[in-house]
Order: sequence, then C-alpha cells, then structure tokens
Amino acid sequence: MTFVHQHVWGWQIATYLFLGGLGGATFSISAILHLFEGCDRKMLSVAVLSSIGFLVLGTVFLLADMLQPLKAAYALTNPNSWIFWGVVFINFYFLAAIVYVIPLLEEWPKLLPIIKKIPTGILSLLERFNRLAALGGSAAGFLITIYTGLLISAAPAISFWNTPALPLLFVFSGFSTGAAYLLLLSTISKKEGAWKISEKLEQLDAILIVSELIVLGAYFNFALFLPTGARESAEYLFHSPLFIIGFFIAGLLIPLAIETYGIFFAAHSTKSKSLLAFASALVLVGGYLLRFYVLNAGLYQYPW
Amino acid sequence: MARYGMVIDMRTCVGCQACMAACTTENQTPFWSDKFRTHVEDKEKGTYPDVHRILLPRLCMHCENTPCLSACPTGATYKTRDGIVLVNYDRCIGCYACCIACPYDARYPYESDDVTREKELYGKNVTHEVPHVDKCTFCEHRIAEHREPACVSTCPTQTRIFGDLDDPSSAVHKLATSGKATALNQGLGTSPKVFYIPS
Repeated sequence: MTFVHQHVWGWQIATYLFLGGLGGATFSISAILHLFEGCDRKMLSVAVLSSIGFLVLGTVFLLADMLQPLKAAYALTNPNSWIFWGVVFINFYFLAAIVYVIPLLEEWPKLLPIIKKIPTGILSLLERFNRLAALGGSAAGFLITIYTGLLISAAPAISFWNTPALPLLFVFSGFSTGAAYLLLLSTISKKEGAWKISEKLEQLDAILIVSELIVLGAYFNFALFLPTGARESAEYLFHSPLFIIGFFIAGLLIPLAIETYGIFFAAHSTKSKSLLAFASALVLVGGYLLRFYVLNAGLYQYPW
Repeated sequence: MARYGMVIDMRTCVGCQACMAACTTENQTPFWSDKFRTHVEDKEKGTYPDVHRILLPRLCMHCENTPCLSACPTGATYKTRDGIVLVNYDRCIGCYACCIACPYDARYPYESDDVTREKELYGKNVTHEVPHVDKCTFCEHRIAEHREPACVSTCPTQTRIFGDLDDPSSAVHKLATSGKATALNQGLGTSPKVFYIPS
C-alpha cells in the first residue's frame, strides 16, 4: 500500500472552491434575510453584486487551471459528472442573481441613468419576479456550496475526501464565510439598518461555527480510526501548523470567542464593531485555509 | 464484439522497462516530462532479513465500472464496444476530474509544453495535437490491425498476456479465470480488466 499526495488540484481549485462556497452562501443568506427579516437594500445590493463577483472570479480560477478552457462549454455533456451540475447550478445562480439585483440597484443614484435605459416592461417584470429570483437564487447558492464538497468527494482512491462528511463540512464552512462576509459589510456600512442586521448575522455565524466544529470532530474521528489513507491525511493536517493555527484556532475558535462575547457581553454596542470585523476577516481566511489544506491532504491510496 | 483485458504475471517480470520504452515510442508519450502510460513500480516489501523486491507493471485497468468516465463532464472519456476506455482529445478540457477519480494513477496531463516538444521531436507525424489528459489505449490502433499492444509484443519475458477475456480459448481468459490472478483495489467495485498473478 502506497500513499501519494495528489498534485493535480492545487491552490487555484482551492480558490475556486472557496469563492464558490462564499458566493453561493452570501447570496443565499442575503436573499433569505431580505425575504424574512428585511434588510438594508443598499447593503443587500453590494452583497449580491459581490457574490456574483466571487463566483465570476472563482470560475476564472477554474478555467485557468484547465488545459483547454476555451472548450469549457463541453462540460455540459455528462450529467453523471459533478462538474456538469456545478455548471448548471452556477449558470442558474447567475440568471437568478442578475434578475434579483437589478431592481436593488435603484438604491444607487449614480446608477439610476443606466437602470432607466432598461425598458419599463422588463423592469416591472424583474420587480414582479424579484421574490422568486431571491428564492431560486438562494436554492442555487446552497447547491453551489454543497457542490464544492461533492466535487472532491467523488474520488474513490482518496479516502479522506470520499466521505459524506466533506460536503457537509463545506456547507457549514461556506455558509459561515458567507455570514462573516455579510457581517463585515454590516460593520463597514454607515447605515443604521445595516448595523441592525449584524446582530442576526453574528448569531448565525456563531451557530454555523459550532456546527462546523461538530462536523469537523466527526470527520476527523472517522478519518483517524480507519486504517486507510484518510488517517494519513488527518495526521498530515495535525502536523500542519498553518492548518491548526490558521484555520482551527484563528479561523474558528477566535471568531467564535469574539462572537460569543459580542452576543452575550457587548450588548450589540457599536464598540464591538471593529472586533466583529476582525472576527469576520479571520473566518474568511480560515475558510480559504480549510479548502487549501483539505486539497493538500488528499492522498491516493495505491495498492502497490 | 470482444472484451479486451490483460493478465500480468509478476513472477516473470524482470523490471527491464522495455514495455515503457515501447509504449513511449508507439504512442509518443512525453517521456521528457517523465510521464508514461505504463510504468513498472519497483518496490521493496518487508524488513530485514525478510525483504522482497516487487516489480509491478501498471497501466490503465480499463475498468468495467469506470470512475473516470463518470467524473468526466465533457464525455471526452468514453468506452468502446470492446470495453477499451479512451479519451477524445478534441473534447477533453483538461479539468483533471478524471485524474482525481482514477484509483490507479493511470492518467496524466499532456500539457501545451509537451505538445510543443512532441512537434519538435516527431515533426508533422504527431498524435497529440492539442493538450489533453492522456492514458493507455491498449494500443487500440494496433488491435484494429490484429496486432498486440506494443508493451505486450515487446515484453521479453512474456509477462503481459493480452486478449479477449470472453474467449474461452484465449490464454488471457484461461489465466484470468485460473484462480491465480487477482485484480487491484477490488474493494472499490471498479471491476478492472487487468489482472495480476502475484510473484
């Protein structure tokens, strides 16, 4: 039995997975908050536009890693492949997100002349389907987030990846980065409405981090007690200081401690703004490190 | 319609790597980048004083249940009626999903630099005109001419036995069903069509 590190997917794919999860989750959380809680429309438009930006950038990283990116349209051929479904989810997401965001852009006076150029018939149609686009886009955002885990779990010879815990871990981590990004936006925004929503986001992110810790515990418990490459991978991660310090301590435990302090002791005062922004930035860095190290820890288990 | 497969008799392999050389010459694989469609693993097993040397020639297993085919989003990876797993170079986008899915390390990227080098070496008679993910084809162009794969016809010790697994009179069928031969990574359910007789 030989364990060999995979070198096929590196930092570019880690970036794609990170931005995919971040973009999908940012949209899902934003749209759900808008539909059920109400949210500052200006902040919402920035969140949705940046989620589109994250996914465009992520797709660029995926294409840059390919041998023949100009033929990428062929990826819509085999429905048995997770990449096929990724392309479907991302395109559906783009459609829903664009339909959803255009009416929101009316909040920006500088953009009004451009919005006015859109025929009123189309604008009213976009307004009418705004809620549907929010729901559809949220579903697509969730599917993109889980797809990033499903894509790499479809590797029978890499036992550390070939587990249902990995897509689940990527969902919680992706949604945690999405909530952290929105929290960051709400702390930067000068609008009172945006700051108000940060309380909800703070609670949501704390719940997501706790859930991520539970899945992470189950994932490593499974990996460490199997006589396979999964154990080698888990041990490799335990011996990677940047994974332990950068992801686990700085990307999970410290933000959770700050958010717990914010929820229970700071009484949502503006004094905790900079602390919350710091915690959000740490969650984002941690989210990237998780994907980078999970890819790095992928070990083929060859029978020779 | 045949069901092509191979039996590798590890008892007779001497590790001369003639199979690798023959394959490279036949299929213009990028030896200059140390990439091969077939490779002879040279391993030591055990600890002193009970140490054994294991020579294991490996290649694409042309699995019945092909994880690479499922992972390929473009349909570039396909299976012929004879069960040979091939790659359509023009359709491959080089996303590496098949490389990740393959449990046998049978695939590698034929990159732009490799295509350029190939053109320098072989002139106009190149077989890899575009970058793509490459793998063993069982030399299907030779099979079409009723010849054996290059690695099989070159092997000086007849370690590799190739033929139709469904033909009861073939040597490959007899060896594969003899009870001596076994497939690699059977637990994964890939049902490989390359079998090994252990040394």
